[in-house]
Amino acid sequence: MERRELIQWLVATAGLPWLESLAPHDLLALGRDVHRRGATGRALGAHALQTVTLAAERIIPATDTPGATDAGVGAFIDKMLADWHTPAERDRFLAGLPELDARCRARAGKDFVDCAAADQVAVLTALDDEARSATSREHWFARLKYLTVYGYCTSEPGMRALGLFPVPWRYDGCAPVTR
Amino acid sequence: MMAVLQSRADFDAIVVGSGMTGGWAAKELTELGLRTLVLEAGRPIVPERDYVEHTPPWEMPFRGLGDRRATLARQSTQRNSVSFDELSHVFWTDDVDNPYSTPADRPFHWFRARQVGGKSIIWGRQVYRWSDLDFEANQRDGVAVDWTIRYADLAPWYDHVERFIGVSGQIEGLAHLPDGQFLPPMDLNCVERHVRERMRERFGRERILTIGRVANLTTTHNGRAACHYCGPCHRGCITRSYFSSVNATLPAARATGRLTLRPYSIVRGLVYDSSRNRITGVRIVDAQTKAEREYTGRIVFLCASALESARILLNSRVGNSSDQVGRNIMDHIKWGGATGQFDGWSDRREIGDRPNGIYVPRFRNVSSRHSGFIRGYGFQGAADRPGWRSALRAPGIGAAFKQRLNDLGPWSMSFWGFGEMLPSADNRATIHPTLVDKWGIPSLHIDCRWGENDLAIHRDMNVTAAELLEAAGATNIDHPNGPSTPGGTNHEMGTARMGRDPKTSVLNSWNQAWDVPNLFVTDGAAMTSSGCQNPSLTYMALTARACHHAVDLLKRKEL
Repeated sequence: MERRELIQWLVATAGLPWLESLAPHDLLALGRDVHRRGATGRALGAHALQTVTLAAERIIPATDTPGATDAGVGAFIDKMLADWHTPAERDRFLAGLPELDARCRARAGKDFVDCAAADQVAVLTALDDEARSATSREHWFARLKYLTVYGYCTSEPGMRALGLFPVPWRYDGCAPVTR
Repeated sequence: MMAVLQSRADFDAIVVGSGMTGGWAAKELTELGLRTLVLEAGRPIVPERDYVEHTPPWEMPFRGLGDRRATLARQSTQRNSVSFDELSHVFWTDDVDNPYSTPADRPFHWFRARQVGGKSIIWGRQVYRWSDLDFEANQRDGVAVDWTIRYADLAPWYDHVERFIGVSGQIEGLAHLPDGQFLPPMDLNCVERHVRERMRERFGRERILTIGRVANLTTTHNGRAACHYCGPCHRGCITRSYFSSVNATLPAARATGRLTLRPYSIVRGLVYDSSRNRITGVRIVDAQTKAEREYTGRIVFLCASALESARILLNSRVGNSSDQVGRNIMDHIKWGGATGQFDGWSDRREIGDRPNGIYVPRFRNVSSRHSGFIRGYGFQGAADRPGWRSALRAPGIGAAFKQRLNDLGPWSMSFWGFGEMLPSADNRATIHPTLVDKWGIPSLHIDCRWGENDLAIHRDMNVTAAELLEAAGATNIDHPNGPSTPGGTNHEMGTARMGRDPKTSVLNSWNQAWDVPNLFVTDGAAMTSSGCQNPSLTYMALTARACHHAVDLLKRKEL
């Protein structure tokens, strides 16, 4: 978050009176926290963006290499929903997304972002199975998964992790697979 | 050098178009001493600014998927080209500003490029010579009119062009697909080598697989660097490693000091002086200001692309006493072929992005006659592994799924046919009675469809591609959805054909208009038949040959 935005937010939330009492590092932490909790996308509201970002991270988690969050997949999905998909495609996705919260609440009494990792994985795994057996129209989760994989594999951290960047500047048509 | 050329005209020569053939006309005419004006409808290209082949996906707003809404709104036709993408779309025209029409039930894809370099920036770079199998075909089959030239007439000009542009390829010794002046060939990958060997065992010399002959350099050549295998040539090439007019012919023309290149110059028409039966100049409208002006020249070369050159001739009402201008539109029929999967070589991969594939030269109606159709087709294709894209719809989540992104997936190999299309007078472009472009210039109405012979060729591609894959041991053989839409191969040609008789053709053997001697048409419009080979090399060779002839005529004061 830019400093300007932080101040705007503090003004908007009448936070200025106690601002003076914060040390610089507290101010910075506040700014980060505001950013994390307050960020909204253009197609996704704050909660939806947080949900999508976390779901993407569960699909492609950080391991010894970067994961979906490091690769900025949440912002990519928001961009695609806002500027690339048709209104009908976007609406179908947005209508499906609350299913993550509904299933987690049914399972653990909490929203998706607040439930335990094991519950999140269980919900995503079930949806992944259902999406692949869906016959008629594309399941909303298949789109989430597609955009997650595409966004990760075309990001700089993802392409570096997959050995796709930098480009080799030569051609070998029969090289050994080394990874 | 050419003191004989005393002229009151603004220029000795005017070339309309700066692409594949316009660049060659500019190079040859200026090197032969002519002060030459090249008129280009589109913007200038500055490689350091406009070439974007090294832009990584994450620097593109849509990661290479393109601005879908803008594309549908402004480039709904151009987007169908195989080399149209998020970055290269700027090298195609805006369909709203540049409309044309077709019958509702007969779509035609007219891919158009308006910038310095034209379509030579975005072409597929495959270059194959014709042979007398092609030049004699119309006469042999009693189709349309005979070519007035034979391979012997064009062979030295193929040499001339190949030596300059740089063509990598493998010598194969085939009479019907003559070898050229080749730089070292690119490598086949493991599976392509396997298929080549299996085809040799099964089909001998009848059906061979060779590496594509491609205008990408494999060694430093004429001051241009060798290809570095980055992949997306259609976005430009900062090392000038593939041939385009921007990369090679226009710089050569500029080096003579006799080139004047005027971008943003849309040709409204040719200026015809009936008392002298000469084109005296070209009338243009400035694409930015819409101001009009005329340039005068002693000779005019139309190199604006087959349909655009026909449009200029029809709008100018010159050169068409034969009523053949705009007729005989040909393309190559494609999207016949097959893809098959190969088990094995799982420990092998490609490194780098080879901007080239394989080629299977025509084998139908070469040494035997097929009962279902005349002419034939060649296959292009490649073997590769899909990489992470196979995970886009794969099952699983979590660390194990992430690991799967590293799987390269199975090898598969595809053959895609490019089939010869027969000329037909009914496949025709005419001036639309009311439709005009952004600059008020009447647009084309294009009425073109595949004929029975073309469609029979397309059906046969599916059969023989499967035979090749089966011979090589492939499984899961699948066929593409075809045929392509006419025009979709971007090989449109034939709209001002060469011939022996002014009553049935537009141009003589030297690409010179029968009706107006100082007018030459040297782009794809000149083609009398289509062959099945990618046509640009032949257009370039015809252009160079016509330029030398035109200058000879000027020297002899016959123009």
